[in-house]
Amino acid sequence: MSSQAEPTANVPPEQEPTPDFVVRLGAAQRAGGLVVPVLTAVLAFLAGGIVVAATGHNPWTAYKGIWDGAGFNWLFHIPWDTNTVHLDAFNLSQTLLTMTTLILVGLAVAFPFRCGLFNIGGQGQYLVGLFVANWIGVSFAGWPTLPHVLLGIGAAALAGAVWAGIAGFLKATTGAHEVISTIMLNWIAIWGGQYLFGQGGPLQNTYNPAAPESGTVVQSARIPVFWGNPVLQGLDYGFFVALVALVVFWLILNRTTLGYEVRAVGFNPEAAAYGGINVKTKYIQAMAISGVFAGLAGALDMLGYLFQFGVLDVQASQIGFLGIAVALLGRNTAIGTGIAAFLFGGLLYGTTRGLNPNVFDPSLAGNLTSMIQGLIVLFVGADIFILYIWNARRKLKLRRRAEMAAT
Amino acid sequence: MHATQWAFRPKSIAVLGSVLGLAAFWSAIPPFTARSPLVPILIGVLAIAAGLWAVTRGTRRLGWGAIASGVIGLGLGLLATRSSSANLHVVFAADLIAQVFVFATPLTFGALGGMVSERSGVVNVGLEGMMLMGAFWGVYGADKGGSWVVGILVALAAGGLFALVHAYWSIHLRANQIVSGMAINFLALGVTGYFFEQLYGNKNIPSGVSTVPNVALPGIDHVKYLGAAIGNLNLLIWVGILFVPLSYFVLFKTPIGLRVRACGEHPRAADTVGINVYAVRYAAVLVSGMLAALGGAFLSIGFGGGSFTENMTEGRGFIALAAMIFGNWRPFGAWGAALLFGFSTALAFRLPVYSSSAATLFQTLPYVLTLIAVAGVIGRSVPPKADGQPYAKQ
Amino acid sequence: MAEERSPVLELRGITKRYSGSLANDRVDFDLRRGEVHALLGENGAGKSTLMNILYGLTKPDEGEILIDGKPVSFSSAKDAIGAGVGMVHQHFMLIPVMTVAENVVLGTEPVRSGIVLDERAAARRVADMARTFNFAVDPDARVDNITVGQQQRVEIMKALYRNVDVLVLDEPTAVLTPQEAADLFEILRTLRREGISIVFISHKLNEVLEIADRITVLRRGKKIDTVSKEGATEEGLARMMVGRDVLLRVDKTLASPGEVALEVKDLHVLDDRELEKVRGVSFSARGGEIVAIAGVDGNGQTELVEAITGLRPIESGTVAVGGREFEGRLGPRMMIDAGMGHIPEDRHRRGLVLDFNLAENLALHDYDKPPDSRFGWLYPARLVQRAVRLIKEFDIRGGGPLTLARALSGGNQQKVVVAREVARNPVVLVAAQPTRGLDVGAIEYVHRRLVAERDAGHAILLVSLELDEVLSLADRILVMYEGRIVGEHGGDAGEEEIGLEMLGGRKPVAA
Repeated sequence: MSSQAEPTANVPPEQEPTPDFVVRLGAAQRAGGLVVPVLTAVLAFLAGGIVVAATGHNPWTAYKGIWDGAGFNWLFHIPWDTNTVHLDAFNLSQTLLTMTTLILVGLAVAFPFRCGLFNIGGQGQYLVGLFVANWIGVSFAGWPTLPHVLLGIGAAALAGAVWAGIAGFLKATTGAHEVISTIMLNWIAIWGGQYLFGQGGPLQNTYNPAAPESGTVVQSARIPVFWGNPVLQGLDYGFFVALVALVVFWLILNRTTLGYEVRAVGFNPEAAAYGGINVKTKYIQAMAISGVFAGLAGALDMLGYLFQFGVLDVQASQIGFLGIAVALLGRNTAIGTGIAAFLFGGLLYGTTRGLNPNVFDPSLAGNLTSMIQGLIVLFVGADIFILYIWNARRKLKLRRRAEMAAT
Repeated sequence: MHATQWAFRPKSIAVLGSVLGLAAFWSAIPPFTARSPLVPILIGVLAIAAGLWAVTRGTRRLGWGAIASGVIGLGLGLLATRSSSANLHVVFAADLIAQVFVFATPLTFGALGGMVSERSGVVNVGLEGMMLMGAFWGVYGADKGGSWVVGILVALAAGGLFALVHAYWSIHLRANQIVSGMAINFLALGVTGYFFEQLYGNKNIPSGVSTVPNVALPGIDHVKYLGAAIGNLNLLIWVGILFVPLSYFVLFKTPIGLRVRACGEHPRAADTVGINVYAVRYAAVLVSGMLAALGGAFLSIGFGGGSFTENMTEGRGFIALAAMIFGNWRPFGAWGAALLFGFSTALAFRLPVYSSSAATLFQTLPYVLTLIAVAGVIGRSVPPKADGQPYAKQ
Repeated sequence: MAEERSPVLELRGITKRYSGSLANDRVDFDLRRGEVHALLGENGAGKSTLMNILYGLTKPDEGEILIDGKPVSFSSAKDAIGAGVGMVHQHFMLIPVMTVAENVVLGTEPVRSGIVLDERAAARRVADMARTFNFAVDPDARVDNITVGQQQRVEIMKALYRNVDVLVLDEPTAVLTPQEAADLFEILRTLRREGISIVFISHKLNEVLEIADRITVLRRGKKIDTVSKEGATEEGLARMMVGRDVLLRVDKTLASPGEVALEVKDLHVLDDRELEKVRGVSFSARGGEIVAIAGVDGNGQTELVEAITGLRPIESGTVAVGGREFEGRLGPRMMIDAGMGHIPEDRHRRGLVLDFNLAENLALHDYDKPPDSRFGWLYPARLVQRAVRLIKEFDIRGGGPLTLARALSGGNQQKVVVAREVARNPVVLVAAQPTRGLDVGAIEYVHRRLVAERDAGHAILLVSLELDEVLSLADRILVMYEGRIVGEHGGDAGEEEIGLEMLGGRKPVAA
């Protein structure tokens, strides 16, 4: 009997199940290498530039202004002058500060993605970590710095883990889609923050009852600065914590049994179950770990340079969402997330406080960032399409070459 | 079925029970302001009884809803009887009802839009972005075009444009629909903020922009309680209310609606009977974007009186999504959820009379309720079967 | 008695190739008005391809289709329906949450006042149809609330609603209980009386002989013969379907079975629809022998294997591995730890994580134990070590330990699965369709490997749809039909005898 090449009666016309988006993304990653993310980013910047030009501004000066605002120009002025009184150095230090947060909120999206889960709750998990860190930072005055900071960070990470874990738990037990539950949890956290820091709220500062702001983190809980002037907001050691987090992310995924299981579930839950892996437990664990990253981001921000947060800040904060773009652009890998965080950190700072208003209006620039963010996420979604075109052209070239060789 | 038969079937009794639960609460607040606790207790017990009866006859979800409504209405009614009458009149003034409609309208438009899209099988989390586009470009159109009609048309075009992008990504490119939707949200934030700054540099829409008029109901608008409640509502509010039975009719009583629902449940089956699944889904997503945009236009040139602020929608698109889920992807259910969420928001603004902190926490109610809904605690919240799955035509 | 006029449907010289093999080889088929014509053949004989062509889902490479003597060309299902050909698929195209009436009229809905869906008219027409053909289906019932037999009738009504002359039924009794099958046959007789011509695709001899006027037998893409009901016998049909030149058998010595490694007692298993698919199966397999379960797909083998390997709960009965008895809800881990190896029938779904490399795939059962890992810390070097060893031992080609499984050919992918399972020295190895989709070389390799495992003293349970493979490898053959073991033979049993049992030719032994 010949091997089955024709469709059998028992299989519905679609032979193979349409591969899951996560799987295709993984395939795209491998096939495209570095080319596709770079191409995606370039396209997004190009499109942004077109909008800028179409509205009567010079895209070159705009992007140059953002470049300088991010401090990227500092990298090219050798020998490197580290005195942050000078604008270039200061800008770069601020970019790296932003990058710290973005690495962590990016990892918070990337990790569950490797398990097949879409975590949109980075913003809420970040806020929850921030609240807890503020509480710890304001209380326990008189503790020595190291234990105080560690307590703040630890509690914040735990809080983030719990917040994210709720979504994971709901998915594991009731099948509730994590996208919906994390979005809901985001808003609950936002309103929770307004309650906590608002007038009469438990975390409101004690010296100005009219101001809906939190208390200020005491000196002993502030993470020391290593580059720049602490009074003028310098780069604190939290930056290294973020870098370590990248390494930890990689280690967990590639050097632990948990990571093996997470990746297996992300690629093929059925085969994973067959191998004895408890898929539901993996969902909870993956979400909890992602919450640790996001909560850590909140802690490092609060104890590193914010030191205080108001109701208006809670409402305006969007950094958790930027993590989605960072993770997607970075293809959910450690190195990719790191690089994408650097890029977006520069973009974010360079279009806001770092931008010289005479060069390009910061308000315009800030919205340009949102547009680029949207375009990158959009293009990543069409990754497959770009890849298909790229692959198709490549195959065509190969075929032509083969045909020519045959004649 | 005969009228009496229809009135007494378990589903009707369950709905009656829910209404009675609401009545139990309402009896203790203006305009009725019954002070004796017996009143809410009696009505509430009736509601619970109706719900129990419905449950025993098999109508579980609505029946339990009626029981919950009865319990909650009874409890709140009791609480109200213990509050001072003066406070009650401040909080539950007649215009609270008007405010409920005001808050509920963008949610209604958004929820109906989301419902249409998801019924055809395409998840649309980009409602927030489409709504925001409608808000900004609506007021821009009214400003430059000189009339709110132009504004509405421009809003529809803007929302529709972004919807087309989402549709193309989801249907032709078969991208992940949630990624695509989130991208739309980011893009909309950036585009509207950018052009707001670009076109209205000092961040103010000039006053005097043509806005959607209010509709004064003749005769009613001078009646004491009713007048303040519904006598002078914006036209778009009435349009929104109208769309609820309209969408019910189209979705469940016309061939088009049947085909849309077929595409959302089993696109291959629809394909084999000759329905063009791609075309249906494109149309549905387009409609959903336009509806969301209408909700946004209400924010800027309806209730908003011709104004715009960055990120004006502030998450309403997501609440609309929640209302759609809470309403089980049905028009009247989604509308009921929108009203409920609108009510909780409107109430939250008045609760500072009692306690400012409680008011803030109260704002989380829509989200908590939706979490409970998706967790299936109050019966399964079942989306269309093929919702979110790209369809590959053979 | 069919009259002599041009057949209502004719397929002439249909040929279709799929990546190198001939799915249909100059097949002729004609359908007379008002007859039931059965299309008989095993899995892979070419029945489905032929019907996909008829229904417009595929185009033939050669040949033509004639309706009422006129040549036609279909490019979609809609064309086919338009020409009067309706199909009842094995997998129903019904929308569960909608009513019977809604499903039937979808796409050609009756309207009143221009835009309103006329539900009552739809319900009335469905009720009329149901009455005419004695269907016993409520038009207002939701499809997910009615039985599978009734759902099938809704599919039939969809076709009738569109005024088809020809109805094609693809393995219609595969999802029905015996009683429902009897009801179906009554309906088919009624349809025939009303002048509808029916193509009945099946592999079950007894049914075909009961309902068909003529029978066409396909084998390996070719039409063998078309016979009339009179004079046809089960043996004759089976010989046509299955008989062929004797194929090379794998060289193997006689088995010397040892201890009982696997013991299955009175197993009952339900499928996803809560129908009993395994109805009291008992057998045992000893170390050093290959026990094969032969049968046509859909007779419960899949569920049997899933239950034995712990992927599906057992309704009642027990499974004993290496002396340890299990019942109820098992887990794959449990069975693996008890000494069972499993080569799953779908290597892409269950067997491999295609985006893992070979080292990771080969470690799927062992990654969480030393030496692969300690206290949760993974040692990739060990995984690679194992992979290098197994790649060499099992001659896996197409890449090294770090190559993604996706990049390998089907044959080599299967080698990976085989290597992983066999290397653990299982007491009993369950191989479910181990050579599906493989080329000849890979098939030969897998066969040699299974025999080697047998010779090493392990028990092999082979479940296969390919009779060749069964006859070639097995020391003992069990035939499964409709959830029961209907026959037990030695390894040298005759093809026709087994083929007959596979097709339901003998009455099942009372279980």
